Amino acid sequence: MARKPTRKRRRRPGPARRTASRRRSGRRGRWPWLRHWKRALAVLLAAAAAWTVYLDVTIRTAFEGKRWALPAHVYARPLELYEGAPLAEADFRLELKRLAYRPAYIPEQPGTYSHSGSTWVVHTRGFDFWDGTEPPRIVQVQLGGGRVQRLTDAGGRAVDLVRLDPMFIGGIYPSHHEDRVLVQLEDVPPLLVEALIAVEDRKFRHHHGIDLRAIARAAWANLRAGAAVQGGSTLTQQLVKNFFLSNERSLWRKANEAVMALLLELHYDKDEILEAYLNEVYLGQQGRRAIHGFGLASRFYFDKPVGELDLAEIATLVALVRGPGYYDPRRHPRRLQRRRDRILDILVERNVVSAGEAAAARSRPVRVVADPPHGITPYPAFMDLVRRQLRRDYRDQDLTSEGLRVFTTLDPVVQARAEAAVAAQVAALDRARGLDGRLQAAVIVTSTTGGEVLALVGGRDARFAGFNRALDARRPVGSLIKPVVYLTALAEGGYTLAAPVDDSPIRIGGPGGEEWVPANYDHVSHGEVPLFVALTRSYNQATVRLGMALGVKRVAAMLRRLGLEREVPAYPSLLLGAVAMSPEEVAAVYQTFAAGGFRSPPRAIREVLDARGEPLKRFPLNVEQAVDPAAVALLNSALREVMRHGTGRAARQWFAPAGGFAGKTGTTDDLRDSWFAGFGRRHLAVVWLGRDDNAPIGLSGAAGALRVWSDLMRRLHAPPLDPPGEDGLEWVEVDPASGLRAAAGCEGAALLAFRPGTAPGEYAPCSTGLAERASHWLRRILR
Amino acid sequence: MRRVAGWWLLVPWLLAAGCAVPPAEEGFTPVPEAERPVVVPGRDTPPAVRRLIARAREAARAGRLDRAEALLERAVRIDPRNPVLWHYMARVHLHQGRAARAEGLAAKSNSLARGDRLLQEANWRVIAHARAARGDAAGARAAEARAEALGAGR
Repeated sequence: MARKPTRKRRRRPGPARRTASRRRSGRRGRWPWLRHWKRALAVLLAAAAAWTVYLDVTIRTAFEGKRWALPAHVYARPLELYEGAPLAEADFRLELKRLAYRPAYIPEQPGTYSHSGSTWVVHTRGFDFWDGTEPPRIVQVQLGGGRVQRLTDAGGRAVDLVRLDPMFIGGIYPSHHEDRVLVQLEDVPPLLVEALIAVEDRKFRHHHGIDLRAIARAAWANLRAGAAVQGGSTLTQQLVKNFFLSNERSLWRKANEAVMALLLELHYDKDEILEAYLNEVYLGQQGRRAIHGFGLASRFYFDKPVGELDLAEIATLVALVRGPGYYDPRRHPRRLQRRRDRILDILVERNVVSAGEAAAARSRPVRVVADPPHGITPYPAFMDLVRRQLRRDYRDQDLTSEGLRVFTTLDPVVQARAEAAVAAQVAALDRARGLDGRLQAAVIVTSTTGGEVLALVGGRDARFAGFNRALDARRPVGSLIKPVVYLTALAEGGYTLAAPVDDSPIRIGGPGGEEWVPANYDHVSHGEVPLFVALTRSYNQATVRLGMALGVKRVAAMLRRLGLEREVPAYPSLLLGAVAMSPEEVAAVYQTFAAGGFRSPPRAIREVLDARGEPLKRFPLNVEQAVDPAAVALLNSALREVMRHGTGRAARQWFAPAGGFAGKTGTTDDLRDSWFAGFGRRHLAVVWLGRDDNAPIGLSGAAGALRVWSDLMRRLHAPPLDPPGEDGLEWVEVDPASGLRAAAGCEGAALLAFRPGTAPGEYAPCSTGLAERASHWLRRILR
Repeated sequence: MRRVAGWWLLVPWLLAAGCAVPPAEEGFTPVPEAERPVVVPGRDTPPAVRRLIARAREAARAGRLDRAEALLERAVRIDPRNPVLWHYMARVHLHQGRAARAEGLAAKSNSLARGDRLLQEANWRVIAHARAARGDAAGARAAEARAEALGAGR
C-alpha cells in the first residue's frame, strides 16, 4: 500500500512539463478552469492516496487491536464423579444447569443428559485438561443418600473416575474493553457461519470487500419500496462499520467504509475477517452495556455457549444482525419471530437446511432467558480475587492478550448455596432490625484441605461487581481472636483445657496514664473458671488476664504464624480482637485450625496454562506445619464445645448437625460487626455482617452471622468433624463448673481432648452426688 | 539435571505404587535412603484414588513431575485423610527441589498416619532429606534418628 503515494509523487509535473502545460493552457485561454486541471488532479490524487493510507492504518490498527487481544479465560473447578463422591441430587442438577447441559430424551449429543429417578445418564462434553484429556463419553450416574452410588459407562461397566468440563466463569479483559466472550472460528457451529453468509452476504467467499451487484440490487429494491428495506453491505463492510460504531449515515461515511473493506480484504484472509465479524457484530443492548459478538449474545439471550445453539436459536441471532433494537426479543418478540422465520425460509431457498429442519425450527417460539446474566461474570467477587492473585505473577498486558487459561478453585454449587444463604438470611435480619436494606454481608468458604477458596460473596447483592467486602472490608474481629490467645496458652503456656483461669475484673494502664478496663459481655465476673469455659462462653476478663500472662507479643506472633500475612500492633486490646481483619484474612487463620495446625494460605487458582495448553505456573497445594498439631486438636475440641454448649449453640435450631462442628462467634463494640467462623470436615466458612458506614446493626455474632453460617452449612449438606478417634490424645468428659472429670449426672459436660497424662483425674461433685461443688472447686485451687 | 535425577529417585515409589516398572530397573541405581521404606496405598483406597495414583506414576515415569503432582492433588481432594497420598506428594516435591514444601507435606502425612510406623519412618526420611537440602544438618540428623527409631521398632 505504501507504494501508491510514491508513484503519485513521481508523476508530479516537473519544471519542463510545467512550461509545456503553460503553453498549452495559453492556447486554451477560453477555459481558465481547465488551465490547472492536471495539477488539480495530481493534488486530488495525492490527497486521495494519503487518505487511503490513513484509512489503511486506521482499519488495520482497529483490526489488529481486536484480533490479538486474547483475554485470559477463567474456569471453575471441574466436577469429579466417582463412586462415593458427595453429590446431592439438587447439586448435580444445578451443576448440569450451570454447565448448560440440556435435558434430552436420549442424550446422543455431548452436553445433554437424561434423568429418571435417581439415575442420570450424562453425555459429557469432554475437555482437554493439561493433566490428561477427558474424552466426551456417556456415563450413568446413580445417586443416593447424597453420594454417587454407582458410576458406569454406556455398556454398564464400572467407571472409576469422570471429570465434567469446567465451567467458564469469565475472561480477564483490558479495562477499556467492553465485555466480550471471544470465540474462535472453530468453536462456532458451521451452520451459524453458513446462515450468516446466506442471509447477509451470499458472495462473501468471492468478493473483494464490496459487492457492487448487491449494492445495485439493494438500491433498486429500496427505490421501489421508497424506503431503505434492503442493505447491500458485505460482512466485511459491516465489520468495518462495527469497528467505528456511529449513527452517522452519510455517503462520505459509506465510501470510507467501502474503501476500508477493500483494504481489509487485501490484508487478511476470509476466515480472519469472519472470525473478527463473529466477535464484533453488535447484537443487543442491556442498559449501558452493548452486547457485541455471537459469543456474548449466545450467553445473553440463551445462556449457553455458542457451540450449543440449535437452528432456531441460530436463526434468531442472525435475525438480530439487522437491528438488535428493532428486533429486540424482549420487547418485540413477534416482529423478531417473523424475521427469524423469514431467515429460515432463506436458508431453505439457499439449501443450507432442509425444509423439514426449518419447519421444526419454525414451530418453536422465540424464547430467550428472562433474566440475562449481568456483566462479564456471574461471580464478580471471586473473579476479583483471581485477578488479584494473578497480578502478583503477571502483567496486565499478558493477562488480557496472551490467551492464558486459568483454572480456579471456585465450586459453582457451593457459591450458589452461599449466595442463597446470604440472600435469605441477610434480608430477614435486615428487616428484623429495621436496617432499611443497609445490612451488608461477606462470606468466604474454603476447603479444609489445602485452603482452596470454594466460594466468595462480596456483598448482599452477589452479582454486583462493587466493593468486595470479603477481601477489602477490614473490621475489628472481636472474639474471633480468642482462639488464638487460647492456642498460645495450650501450645506454649503449658495449660490444659481444664486449667483454672481468673475471670475477675482487670485494669490495664497504658503508657500515657490512660486505663483500659475490659468488661464481660454480660457485665458479670465469673471468678475462677476452667480455661475452656472462658473460651466457649467468650469471657473477656479471663481472656485478657490469660493473654497478659502469656504476653501480648506472643499472641501477636501466634496470629502471624497461623496465617495473618502482616504485622499487627501488640497492644493489649489485641486480646479482645481490636485488630481489624478482612473475612479472607480470618479464613486464613481459621484454616490452620481446620487443617489441624497446618497452614495453607487461601488460594483461588490451581494453574495457569498458556495458549498452547502447557502449564505456565502451578499453585501447588502447600501445607506448612505452623503449630503443634496436638495443641490445635485440644483447641478444636473446645471450639466444638462452643457449638454444643457455648456461644454457638443456637446454630442447632437452624442446622441440626451443628454440634459436630467447631467455631467461634465474634461481636464488636455497640454491635457494629457480627462475625462467625466455623468448620466441619470439608468446609470452613467465615461470615461477616455489618454496615458500610460502620453504624451499629444490633446483632451479635450469634444472632447474626451464626444464622447465615448455619443456613449455609445446611444448604451445603456439610459433613461435621470426625468423632474423636485415633489421634493419640485422651478424650475426657469434663464438668464445666469444676473443671473436673464428669460422669453421668453432670449437666452440660464437655468432651475435651488432653495430652496423655494431663486430663483431670478427680471426679467432679456432680459425678459423685456431692452438692458442694463450689467448696470442692475452692479446695482444689487452694491445695 | 534435577528432573533427570528426580526420575531415578522416584523408582521405588513407582515400584510401590503398582509394579508397572519392569523388574530389571530395580537395580539400576543405588536407591537413596529417603526412598526406603517403600509405602503402598492402603487396601481401602477407593478405585478413583488408585486410578489417579497410577496415572501420577505414569506421569512421573515420563519425567512430568508437575503432572504427577497435579494428579496426586486430585487424589488428595477426593481422599484428604489418606496419609499415603500426602507422603507421595512430599516425595514429588522433594524431587522437584522444593524442600520446604516436601517437609510440610511429610509432616502432614505424619499427622494423619497414627499407628503406621512404616509410613512415619518414610516421612521422617523425607524430612531428613528436605532438611539436609536446606542446609539444616542438625535437623536432618534428628529426623534421621527418628526414622531409625521407628524402623527399629517395626
